[in-house]
Amino acid sequence: MSSTTEAAPSSEPGGLLSGYRPLVGPYDEMIDPTGAIRPAWRRLSTVLDKLGPDGLVRQADQARRLLRDNGVTYNVYGSEDSPDRPWELDCVPLMIGGDDWNRLADGLVQRATLLNLILTDIYGRQDLLKQGLLPPELVLGHPGFLLPCHGLRVPNDCYLHLYAAHLARGPDGRWLVLADRTQGPSGAGYAVENRLVVSRVLAENFHEARVRRLAGFFKTFRESLYASATRHRENPRVVLLSPGPSSSAYFEDAYLARYLGFTLVEGGDLTVRDNAAYLKTLGGLLPVDVVLRRLQDDDCDPLELRGETMLGVPGLLQAARQGNVVIANALGCGILESPALAALLPDLCRRMLGEELRLPSVPTWWCGRDEDRRYVLERLPQMVIRHALLPRARKPIVAGRLSPVERERLAEQIRKHPSAYAAQELVDRSTCPVFGKGELQPRHLALRAFVAAAGDRYEVMPGGLLRLSDDSDQLGPSMSAGQGSKDLWVLSDGPVAPVSLLQPPGAAVELRRSTHDLPSRVADNLFWLGRQLERAEGTVRQLRSLISRLISESEPGSMPEIPVLFEALLQEWRTEAATPEDDQDDPYRERRTEILRLLYDESRRDSLRSTIHTVHRLATIVRDRLSIDSFRILNQLFREIGSGKVPAEMPLGDVLLQLNQLIVLLAAFSGLGMESMTRGPGWRFLDIGRRIERGQHTVRLLRGTLVRPLAESQPVIEALLEIADSSMTYRSRYLTSIQVPPTLDLILTDESNPRSVAFQMNALSQHVKDLPRDEGRPQVSAEQRIVQAVQTDLVCTDVESLCSEIEPESGERRALEELLLRLETQLGTLAEAVTHSYLIHAGPSHRLGRMTVPTLA
Amino acid sequence: MKYRVRHITEYDYGEKVPVCQNEARLKPRHGATQMCISSNLTVSPRPATIAERNDYFGNHVTFFTIQEGHKKLSITAESVVTLVPPPEPNPMQALPWEQTRGRLADRANVDLLEARQFAYASPYVPIADELADYARPSFAAGRSLLEAVLDLTHRINVEFKFDPRTTTVTTTPLEVLRIRKGVCQDFAHLQIGCLRSLGLAARYVSGYLQTDPPLGKPRLVGADVSHAWIAVYFPEFGWLEFDPTNDLMPSTRHVTLGWGRDYGDIAPIKGVFTGGGAHTMRVSVDVEAI
Repeated sequence: MSSTTEAAPSSEPGGLLSGYRPLVGPYDEMIDPTGAIRPAWRRLSTVLDKLGPDGLVRQADQARRLLRDNGVTYNVYGSEDSPDRPWELDCVPLMIGGDDWNRLADGLVQRATLLNLILTDIYGRQDLLKQGLLPPELVLGHPGFLLPCHGLRVPNDCYLHLYAAHLARGPDGRWLVLADRTQGPSGAGYAVENRLVVSRVLAENFHEARVRRLAGFFKTFRESLYASATRHRENPRVVLLSPGPSSSAYFEDAYLARYLGFTLVEGGDLTVRDNAAYLKTLGGLLPVDVVLRRLQDDDCDPLELRGETMLGVPGLLQAARQGNVVIANALGCGILESPALAALLPDLCRRMLGEELRLPSVPTWWCGRDEDRRYVLERLPQMVIRHALLPRARKPIVAGRLSPVERERLAEQIRKHPSAYAAQELVDRSTCPVFGKGELQPRHLALRAFVAAAGDRYEVMPGGLLRLSDDSDQLGPSMSAGQGSKDLWVLSDGPVAPVSLLQPPGAAVELRRSTHDLPSRVADNLFWLGRQLERAEGTVRQLRSLISRLISESEPGSMPEIPVLFEALLQEWRTEAATPEDDQDDPYRERRTEILRLLYDESRRDSLRSTIHTVHRLATIVRDRLSIDSFRILNQLFREIGSGKVPAEMPLGDVLLQLNQLIVLLAAFSGLGMESMTRGPGWRFLDIGRRIERGQHTVRLLRGTLVRPLAESQPVIEALLEIADSSMTYRSRYLTSIQVPPTLDLILTDESNPRSVAFQMNALSQHVKDLPRDEGRPQVSAEQRIVQAVQTDLVCTDVESLCSEIEPESGERRALEELLLRLETQLGTLAEAVTHSYLIHAGPSHRLGRMTVPTLA
Repeated sequence: MKYRVRHITEYDYGEKVPVCQNEARLKPRHGATQMCISSNLTVSPRPATIAERNDYFGNHVTFFTIQEGHKKLSITAESVVTLVPPPEPNPMQALPWEQTRGRLADRANVDLLEARQFAYASPYVPIADELADYARPSFAAGRSLLEAVLDLTHRINVEFKFDPRTTTVTTTPLEVLRIRKGVCQDFAHLQIGCLRSLGLAARYVSGYLQTDPPLGKPRLVGADVSHAWIAVYFPEFGWLEFDPTNDLMPSTRHVTLGWGRDYGDIAPIKGVFTGGGAHTMRVSVDVEAI
């Protein structure tokens, strides 16, 4: 395409707008062919001019920060190991006028209606096949035609609950559909996130501009799903079935589940009993009425369908067949994603709706028809060649970019297997202004629009997800295509009534769940999140005390507590102590290196960095259970610790600053957890994890310090009090008299000190009492027995005598050590008991061995 | 002929299985040459739910779930069927194979829809040049489809070695073509693939074969086996069956359970269980003339 430019648009000379040069050829969304600004953009263009490049840079920064804090990511490779890519967003919205949009929306509604009718026929009477209106290759020969779904009636004949169209605007200004997405289409959540960010960055302008809101669409969608429930019509339970954290769409799954107020589940969280679907929770099985699934068709039921994964729920199809659960979208709708279908839609629309197709597809030919094939082969260089049935089977081939030899080879393949190929015309996509490098530049755009069932009609989201690229051909339907995205503002003719499903992002967010629907898997993750958070905090506190002494003004050699602290630290990590070499100039060189490794070595599972990475991974998995602010804090924690190699040299002063920062973030999370999480089982498991870990950490710390010989006690005790965050309390009680017994009392047995072991046990005692329990289980659970045993042990402890029993030759407190070892073991047993009673689930599903059927000749 | 068929399948699990969902296709179909007089399915432990239906191809399916913990699952199907020999196709009426291919390719002829669905690739059976190439020597120009399929059946029987140890349920026809070994299921998939790759319609038939005891030995209970063969669509005759494993056209010794595009559509038992660890399976089939 040409990059020569048009005449400058009419705007303020020297303003941001006057520098914008649309490309020649494609339709430009902002500037019309005469160079004038289109009406929908007029208000925004003055705002942009007023802001100028500097203002826009500020807003872009703000947008980036919001996205980063909200943890908006897209996992491109769909792997747990690969880093999530941050979501990129241009904060200049795309403006579309009401009339322009209404025409598009009308076409989308017609298309969704038509597609739903086609599905109803394919999985029902099959008149279209019998009358020759649908070629059998596209149905009976389609791997996505799911035989077990034929004849399975869905309520209200509603197969498509949420449908997405991938659109482009051609040079003549008409919108064209390039692809249809029906199997749990993604992108709607990103559209909401984009809106939240851009409407905040351009808050003033947003309100003046009368932009149509997105929330109403989701409200309709949610209500429509609730209404589709067949069993519990009064108070139905809807779950969002996700492939899990390894999926590229997991961020969005969690986001949408939270936004819509549905429980986020994975296949293993659901089970089918008595031909009905249930959610496995701590409190037992809870019926599920509607499954909003984000799995591909094939993956939803490993019993009846042939997907290779075990992500789905065995028996789900049978439950749907019996009318006990509604699956949205209905299974088998993937067949509508066939690129070849677009070639048939105009005819089908006329026959089935008696109307012309109002929203055309990009001109498409199916090579299985002789006439189409001849046409395509004659004009091959102008075509994009696609798999006729499976849009993801291979990348679209832009035939014009092939060498003549390659093109001939392609033509050969088309002649040989014509019905396997569909061809589309290349579209020169429209452009819009995107801010970058201090100016507005034209970029091509792809629009993903969303349509939801609303009773017996369809409703279009007044907005959508826009993706941008400087190469029109690179904007395929995949979510990962292109560079960056944009918000879409559809202008309303009248005033806009506010609707919201979401609390504003700044507000303290509470879990909006009943206390019963916590899946065991989620409880397990929360339990470990609690443990890892506490482990991180313990480590940071210990390192901080050590480092602050290493870099203090006093001579390190004169501080007896340093070796003790260091060994306690290493003991915590169960690591062999590196023997410090005798380096006259720098006696702590070895130790510094070791400290840096304990902090930053990702290859060690127990390094602080690894612990925080685990915290972040767990938090990502249970993201829908955490408040937005809590998640933001953990995101910040993750960024603060960073990743990569262990720094060879790093001033300990810098390390100390970072540790202080980490402590603040960890404390912020604890505070928010206390303040904004409802006291349901989710919070309980998080806190059980914390308490057990804190108890164990404190016990180990005591063992590493107070058990040691008396002579070194004084500075060691001070350090111990500091790590256990109990110095203030100690001073206020005992002033400057530093002694072992009161210290031990404060940290071990004092029930009023929130850092003491006794305090953790009291909290745990309450937790295990309140955990859900089966009727059949004994009155006192195993967990309760363990907690009581530890509490008794602590109550019976005579701190004075424990401290005075000192072994003569080593100078160590053996009796104290025995008690501490016993406590540590008991806490470990408690963790195991909780896991065993509540968190272990039956394990993964397996297929029965398929029979081979040998026979003798 | 009248037969009693007893088909017992037992699974043993290493650990207790709390829940298990299953589909059985173990009830013989009715047809022009086969009548199913009775059929009973016994499952132990007792299923919590049982639902019966006919699948897309009209095969009988029993869906059942077991919801009590179990370490052993046993499924026994016992049926009585009578068989009459199918009419012999008259070779004088046989049409050239290209004519059948032409009719199947003509989309305007919607009457052939039922047959056409068996002309496409299916999950276990691809359409491939290699398969067409293998079949080609049997399909000389102008030869009748009947003759050509009989010849292909014979060639597969002669050129492939029966060997129950080399293949599994997931072995593809292309691999079988390469290693020239397999079991009845592999030969059926291979032949179906050959025929579909030439533009013909073929389906997979699941059932049993009554076997004769070795000379002078008594009939052993449980010595018979599950079997698989194919059926091919002929515009002039309808569906005719061929057994490449035994190089013959099935008559009164092949008891039909049902059919589909390939094994996946008509597997006698499918199941998914939670937990349970490793499991082992035992199958015993007894086809007794009565």
